[in-house]
Amino acid sequence: MEVRFKLNGKEVATATASNIRLIDLLRDKFNLTGTKEGCGIGECGACTILMDGRAVNSCLVLAAQANGKEIITIEGIADGDILHPLQRRFLSNGAIQCGYCTPGMVLSASALLSQNPDPSEEDIKEAIAGNLCRCTGYKQIIDAVKETAKELQLKQ
Amino acid sequence: MMPRFEIIFPDNLSDALSVLSSGHEHMQIIAGGTDVITGLGQGSNRFKNTKMLIDINNIPEVNGIEIGREKISIGGAVTFSDILQSEFIERSFPLLWKSVSTIGSVQIRNRATIAGNFVNNAPCADTVPVLLVYNATIVIESMSSKREISLYEFLSGPYKTKLSRNEIVTRINIPIPNKNLNGDFYKLGRRRAVAISRITLAVLADVNSESKINEIRIASGAVTPIGTRFFDLEKIAKGKKADDQFFKDMAGKLGEKIIEVTGLRWSSEYKLPVVQQVFYQLLKGIERG
Amino acid sequence: MNKGFSVVGKSVIREDGIDKVTGKAKFADDYKFDGMLHAVMLRINEAHARINSVDFLEIENNRNVFSIISSADIPGAKKVGMIKNDQPIFCDEKVVTPGDVIAMLVGESEDGLRPLLSKIKIDYSPLPVLNDPKKSLDKDAVLIHPEAGSNLIIHHPLRKGDIQKGFDESDEILEQTYTTQLIEHAYIEPEAVIAIPQGISQGVKIIGSIQNPFSCRRIVAAVLNLPLAKVRVQQAHLGGSFGGKDDTMAILAARAAVAALKTGRPVKIRYSREESILESYKRHPYILDYKAGYMKNGKIKAIKIELLADGGAYTSMSPFVTWRSVVQATGPYEIENVHTDVRAVYTNNPYTGAMRGFGSPQPIFAQESLMDEIALRLGMTPDEIRRINGYKVGSVTATGQTLKDHDVNLITVLSTACENTDFAKKWKNNLKKKSVALELSKDSPILKDDQFIRPDDNIKKGIGLALSFRGCSLGAEGMDASAAYISIQNDGSVYLDCGLAENGQGLRTTYTIIASEVLGVSPDKIIYLELDTGITPDSGPTVASRGTIMGGGAVKNAAETVRDKLTALVKEEFKLPADDIISFTDNHVHSESEGTLASFQDVCKIASSQGMNLSAIGWYKGPNVHWDEETGQGDAYFTYVYGCQVAEVSVNISTGEVYIDKITAVHDPGTVINRLGAEGQVFGGVTQGAGYGIFEEVTTDKGFIRELNFDTYTIPTSKDISEIIPIFVEGKESYGPWGAKSLGEPTLELTAAAISNAVCNALGKRLFNLPLNLEEVLLNIKLRPADTKRGSLV
Repeated sequence: MEVRFKLNGKEVATATASNIRLIDLLRDKFNLTGTKEGCGIGECGACTILMDGRAVNSCLVLAAQANGKEIITIEGIADGDILHPLQRRFLSNGAIQCGYCTPGMVLSASALLSQNPDPSEEDIKEAIAGNLCRCTGYKQIIDAVKETAKELQLKQ
Repeated sequence: MMPRFEIIFPDNLSDALSVLSSGHEHMQIIAGGTDVITGLGQGSNRFKNTKMLIDINNIPEVNGIEIGREKISIGGAVTFSDILQSEFIERSFPLLWKSVSTIGSVQIRNRATIAGNFVNNAPCADTVPVLLVYNATIVIESMSSKREISLYEFLSGPYKTKLSRNEIVTRINIPIPNKNLNGDFYKLGRRRAVAISRITLAVLADVNSESKINEIRIASGAVTPIGTRFFDLEKIAKGKKADDQFFKDMAGKLGEKIIEVTGLRWSSEYKLPVVQQVFYQLLKGIERG
Repeated sequence: MNKGFSVVGKSVIREDGIDKVTGKAKFADDYKFDGMLHAVMLRINEAHARINSVDFLEIENNRNVFSIISSADIPGAKKVGMIKNDQPIFCDEKVVTPGDVIAMLVGESEDGLRPLLSKIKIDYSPLPVLNDPKKSLDKDAVLIHPEAGSNLIIHHPLRKGDIQKGFDESDEILEQTYTTQLIEHAYIEPEAVIAIPQGISQGVKIIGSIQNPFSCRRIVAAVLNLPLAKVRVQQAHLGGSFGGKDDTMAILAARAAVAALKTGRPVKIRYSREESILESYKRHPYILDYKAGYMKNGKIKAIKIELLADGGAYTSMSPFVTWRSVVQATGPYEIENVHTDVRAVYTNNPYTGAMRGFGSPQPIFAQESLMDEIALRLGMTPDEIRRINGYKVGSVTATGQTLKDHDVNLITVLSTACENTDFAKKWKNNLKKKSVALELSKDSPILKDDQFIRPDDNIKKGIGLALSFRGCSLGAEGMDASAAYISIQNDGSVYLDCGLAENGQGLRTTYTIIASEVLGVSPDKIIYLELDTGITPDSGPTVASRGTIMGGGAVKNAAETVRDKLTALVKEEFKLPADDIISFTDNHVHSESEGTLASFQDVCKIASSQGMNLSAIGWYKGPNVHWDEETGQGDAYFTYVYGCQVAEVSVNISTGEVYIDKITAVHDPGTVINRLGAEGQVFGGVTQGAGYGIFEEVTTDKGFIRELNFDTYTIPTSKDISEIIPIFVEGKESYGPWGAKSLGEPTLELTAAAISNAVCNALGKRLFNLPLNLEEVLLNIKLRPADTKRGSLV
């Protein structure tokens, strides 16, 4: 079957099978390997992408279900070579260690900030509770999101 | 590994029902997919023979939250996140809102649906006890019929319901509770987020200014084979004085009832005393109406 | 501590950070090659069975099967191991634990192969299953590896002083048994590896999520019967390891390599989470018996310790893990008479090996619980008893080593932690508020009226601490040396590499900072090369928190070698007096007499025009240590680090929930090189330690694991710990780069013990068995389902 959707700002169309998951389509067909698989059951959040602006686990979405949607992966969050403010703050706060959870973490945080520009610490923790990280203990990630929110608010 | 199947996306209810009524076996409705896709991937017996998935997300009849004078009607494909965004639900159905807010993660709530929660009917389904105390009814449609039954009646066993192969849960109707009904939802998990429930409880009660219980509704999850109402206890409580001693008696009775329904299991040594304790504490919250 | 550094100790952005935050960093499963095949594993549903025959007839000619790989295809060693070669690559004779792999199917797609596994006919005879490590050494116990003659993997004795005399002279004796649980590393990236054939003369190249490329290479070469130089191992970005991607990865790499050489095509193995948890090794569960004799004044006179570690089905790193236990089992306390026996044994359980902490979190839990109990009995506070017994300069350890030549900062970290948390006052206050722990009646499960707890009384506060010393690097486990490579280009940019592998913790950034400090070039001018065993010298494994002290030492040595050459050059070039002091900072070269001489770039240009070699291999070798196997005496490690963590918790006495309000982590890692990285180590290590303390557990039923994915194996989320405060006391040290030592493991090893002491402070009762989950806290029991079935899969 064919699916068409907007992927990181571009309209794409591709053939796929009905039992292919969106994560596999993104990684195998589009070579967008920034989307990671950690558990395959929606528990770890490493495969988080944005679908119509909402954070979802791409291991729990069938490729066919992406038809007509707008999908953003970690590769599509920066503005060309200019990093997204979240990406910059992740770097400056040391919010990255092994980096395997990082793409999902950034996307969950970005979904939060687009819905809630002034999140409390609890809001941030809730927004990334579905993204497991084994290295960082979350602290520097939470700080990065907090600082980004402040930066974006100042801009407005 | 996923078995091979077809997937279709009907954009209206009658198309979906007509496919379902075609008599083919092994068709599976999918909305959020958080249970179906993991079940397919893990080779669960319930899903492994699936030959066709019917994605109902594009069907207008199963979408949207309609707020009426006496009830709200939630579409079968409405996600948990949609529910959390409804201020009306937060205000008028605080237990529902609270139970939904404790489910999974943001990512799960963005996909998973409330209908999926009770159609899957895991013993630990978080919204089940809450929908039970709100007296939710569900609308089930097939090509040839449309029926509305109480959720209590619909749930038949762990991972089992009275949904027939040719039917879809189109709406969940919940009567707007009378203003005097107050209560709370309680959930215990092994960690603070994304936790499978060990115990859930929902209580709604109408206690008058003299602390008399006019009405009480009690339901639990994860401590009985499926989420359930305790009508016997509710009858006993009606008309009684809502005081500390009575709450302790009620909690003990809940413990006895759970033993009666569930028997003793590996987890009973922990769950039985704790469910009595937290039930007692939940009742304390309704003490003064 | 400001030592006048320009980069060291500052916050520097990770050198691999941009790739990771943009999704460009390639992890093992992100690599694809033309003609690449995939492999799936054949297992049976048994924990212990003799394999009589395997019949592939039904699938041999299936179009999805490109090749079937079994033991017969192995040209070299059929059994391997990090220490002892007792783990088969393919278990064609016998399986000894459920993760064991009998053979492997190779084909174009995993999906095409998986349905075929059930069509392979395996004839096997089940053998008795041994799950209880306490029964492993019984006379009639079934032998897991009969050729070993016994189920004993290792026994480490330690004898100091006269234990009987010590007990005789003690005022009081306290005997306790503690247990710790099996846990999973839970790196978020599951295992993946690709083997690429390089033609007959070149051997094979391996790319994978490999913690230690050199130990992986050794095992692959042995299995293929190839010289080391014909096996090139390249490390992909590693999605977490924590000690866990060593043995398992070497074996997966060997399987993929055998298949690649047989088929002549690249072969990838990637594991699902379930397969990862099923087959990979875990942290050792311990049974810890402690008997302490002490005086009324708090001085501990004698301690007798017996530790039993469940090694599971294979030796793996058990001998070294338990060796660290024997060295550190008394904790950081000077005790005259010590009698310790540590044993690791085989069972049919999942095998256990290296995991962050490496044999220290288990005895720390026991020894720190014991110290608190003694304090309570003597009416002392936990910090008082530790001040009396804790190591000071000149103290002699249980192994007979005198602590000297570095700041023995044990009491400093203890005092710092106590002052920052107002420890003693809070501890005493909590103790006064006796909690009414739920006492359940055995005859009726229904609560009595007086057993109900009012909602306002649910939460009890507790505070507890734990203290440790930890030997840095490998110690007497083995040869300890590391190498680094540096090459300066004629425009002043720098290539850097070290034989110690990045594990995600930020080693490469730390090394970049060290080179940057020595050469005075900014970190962004330093390009860190990928670790490839074909290019980088062997530096031993990234284990034992030796990355900074050993690899950092080598990098500093390499950078200084080149800097010294440049120093000589500028003195000559600028005709400076021989005793002039040359410094390298801010991308420039300066002299004390003349001020700024030239840019670093210009100096490099001059050097290049004169044909000077601006590359160097740096080397750092640890000082000698020695060990007597019979008595457990010797200078076990060449230096030590000290740490103290204070946990503040809220315990719900109705449900047994433990919530971690705050962990204050005070560590002396020596000089802090990489500030963000060091803080990250504390946040991450404490969080892992907290998971170990309160809910993580792999449970088994006859060897079969119940928690095969993250729905049931719960690790801490962002919401499970409220606050972590890192505090560094940077003690003086003569080893390592500018006296930088170790931090990764100390951060983890203390947390569970501190939490347990805090829970005890809240509840007024002690808990002896990790994890402190709901059932343990409330009822002092562990409850388990009767089997491993999942309701949702029925």
